[in-house]
Amino acid sequence: MHTLMIVDDSLIIRNRILRIAKDPRMPAVEVVGTARDGEEALAIAGRHRPDLVTMDLTMPNMDGAACIEALAAMLPRARILVVSALSDKATALKAMKKGAHGFINKPFGDAALVEAFGELVR
Amino acid sequence: MSAARPVDIEVFSESIKRYFDVTTRKKASVRSAYLLDSAEPVVRCDYNGLINLEGGFRGSVCFSADRGLLTHVLLTIGESDYSDESHRDIVGEIANTLSGRARRHFGEALDISPPQSFAGRSQAVQPRASGRPVAIPIDWNGYEAWLVVHMEPRA
Repeated sequence: MHTLMIVDDSLIIRNRILRIAKDPRMPAVEVVGTARDGEEALAIAGRHRPDLVTMDLTMPNMDGAACIEALAAMLPRARILVVSALSDKATALKAMKKGAHGFINKPFGDAALVEAFGELVR
Repeated sequence: MSAARPVDIEVFSESIKRYFDVTTRKKASVRSAYLLDSAEPVVRCDYNGLINLEGGFRGSVCFSADRGLLTHVLLTIGESDYSDESHRDIVGEIANTLSGRARRHFGEALDISPPQSFAGRSQAVQPRASGRPVAIPIDWNGYEAWLVVHMEPRA
């Protein structure tokens, strides 16, 4: 069973990913925390040490890029999937360099996110 | 105003169509864009999601919609919370998604802020670019909405 933390400043998106996490096509995951920004994410990560993370990029307080860098240092085995509206290739490459393992653009369909999780844990 | 260039407006129009197609599986149609008379970059609906543009550009992108459209989007994506907070959240998230996708065209020089959402029709929004904003009217599932783009390259 994988442990998942969802990081996004939108409650609607956090709820949506929570629902998709229960999809029968998904790898088995337990959601151990949700965070509205990078600062909350680091606090939750310190307590629960998730092995999967979905990460928005544009967030208040601490943005996703800074949070990915900090998480990669804190939890080097965690696999991070960026879920972001920022759709240019340069942004995706920068996120990967900071420690992300996958990237999916908003808007996303349920099946696309399930597939991205499958790739993440493969 | 540089954003009035048809190629730039087309980028936002395509983002709108993709958002509704992927998120709701119901197509949106986008009507002809027009210049707003006012310099204020917003069309006043029940809810407005505002993104400030920074980096190599200045200005804003505002998605404006009435409650019915947003409730219907929430319903379509499986959300069961139809509170005012959820409506503010989804209108901001739509503005964020439409603006973020525009980076495919404008590149990473287009920095976007986290969304600010506001309800009602009384809050003043200060213009952050010169010239007149462009309004893109949207029809989706019997509802109307607008995306208002007000941007220019930073000198």
